[in-house]
Amino acid sequence: MALVALRNVTKTYPAPEKDAEPIVAVDDVTLDIEAGDVYGIIGYSGAGKSTLVRLVNALEPATSGSIVVDGTEITATPERQLRGIRLRIGMIFQQFNLFNSKSVWKNVAYPLTVAGRPKAEIAVRVDELLDFVGLTDKARSYPDQLSGGQKQRVGIARALATSPQLLLADEATSALDPETTQEVLALLKRVNREFGITMIVITHEMDVIQSIATKVAVMDGGRVVENGDVFEVFSNPQNTASQRFVSTVVKGIPSPAELAVLRERHEGRLVTISFRDGDASQAAVFVELAAAGLEFELVFGGINDIQGRAFGHLTLAIRGADAAIDAALAQIAARVDVTEVA
Amino acid sequence: MDRLFELGSEFWVAALETLYMVSLTLLFGGLAGLAIGLALYTTRAGSLLANRAVFNILNVIINFFRPIPFIIFIAAVQPLSRLVIGTGIGNNALIFALSLAASFAIGRIVEQNLLTVSPGVIEAAKAMGAGPFRILRTVVIPEALGPLILGYTFVMVAIVDMTAVAGFIGGGGLGNFALVYGYRQFEPVVTWAAVLLIVVFVQGVQFFGNWLARKVLRR
Repeated sequence: MALVALRNVTKTYPAPEKDAEPIVAVDDVTLDIEAGDVYGIIGYSGAGKSTLVRLVNALEPATSGSIVVDGTEITATPERQLRGIRLRIGMIFQQFNLFNSKSVWKNVAYPLTVAGRPKAEIAVRVDELLDFVGLTDKARSYPDQLSGGQKQRVGIARALATSPQLLLADEATSALDPETTQEVLALLKRVNREFGITMIVITHEMDVIQSIATKVAVMDGGRVVENGDVFEVFSNPQNTASQRFVSTVVKGIPSPAELAVLRERHEGRLVTISFRDGDASQAAVFVELAAAGLEFELVFGGINDIQGRAFGHLTLAIRGADAAIDAALAQIAARVDVTEVA
Repeated sequence: MDRLFELGSEFWVAALETLYMVSLTLLFGGLAGLAIGLALYTTRAGSLLANRAVFNILNVIINFFRPIPFIIFIAAVQPLSRLVIGTGIGNNALIFALSLAASFAIGRIVEQNLLTVSPGVIEAAKAMGAGPFRILRTVVIPEALGPLILGYTFVMVAIVDMTAVAGFIGGGGLGNFALVYGYRQFEPVVTWAAVLLIVVFVQGVQFFGNWLARKVLRR
């Protein structure tokens, strides 16, 4: 049984004004999140991903469908009992949402107080968490005295306080600069590795997915248009929205504009070869092209690494007799995807 | 000037009466206003205990009482004052009327200051499993404490102003002193002595309020 199981979940908001259509924020979403996953949910703003994540801890009630978290059907659970469930789900936010009137120490202690833990236990746990996020020396500081990265680390410590099984990250790095983003992502990776905490990571940035997610769902217009293993989705995106996201981090097949430039600069036939982990190695392809007596150069593309597996697209300009090129391409097409781009 | 020295003891009694009226009004009106403000804030649409009916009723009551000029309000609530505290005249009757009038104004100010608390922070507390009353007590009020202190300071200055009409129902205080011994007896020095003491008092309150708010906001 998945830790989080969504079945045909829909969230509709009433129409903002008369005669308008009601707003469907989440549309018939079915998704399984297994324990230990870092499940990325990517989409443009307004795609419904933030609403979706709020359905999981019932900050927003679902309009229809079923949401089971750790065996509990939360759509049928009264508010009072939901509070107990929320203690087992941590959440971090884009704007950090720290309590400005409380010190860092008290921010982290807050969920433990809500959970009714004894004072002595709280003291030990808060020190432990601040040590984990590397902010022991900031315990007495207030949030407005911290940098963005430090604030998010406090947010993470606070979210982990009650040792949740599940951590929801709502655009947790979107307000941070690239360097701090990497720092926070590394911390989240550690959280997943060291505590085995399952994570749902909402983002609009594909490189966030690339660096920490194991699974990904692409949302567009409230629907999950594609989901699965990150490597699968990155190396072979099916949906147009997915393709657009993937193209932001993967240098792949040249766009028409790029192609025009390549065409001007290079002689010969332009061919894109797509490698996927488990397919023929690049070396084998190059050996075959060379053996056919063809001259070729690499003009575009890149190789990407997702969780230790490589894939990529390389565009070659191949020169030689047309027949020889056709024969060689037919041969390598048995091993890898070959697309003649111009 | 001589007249002022002759009135010495009356002057200081009046000053104490003003202090008495202002502090008790701030206590009763302040607490009632806090309750009204919290009720408005929590029942507002989308808030912790959203309840359209309660919110609308409160809104109508406040909007009904707020525009009544205070001097008329004192007269209008006199029967109620007799019923509740046993008298319709004197300093205590003024405290009753003033607390009532101030509680509506304070309610609005409290509501407005609570609304400055970021919804995200409240959402974070909810996500941690906190219930609405805990959130109100441990998040909303502490987060809004700085502005709340400034709001109460503002109200206190207004209350000092309103105590000046206590003489209307036989109360005392510096306002009454200035009218009776200064204005009616053509003694501008006496009037100005009362005015200056009120100014000093108001300045002191404002200074203290600013200092306290700064301390809370750590700025």
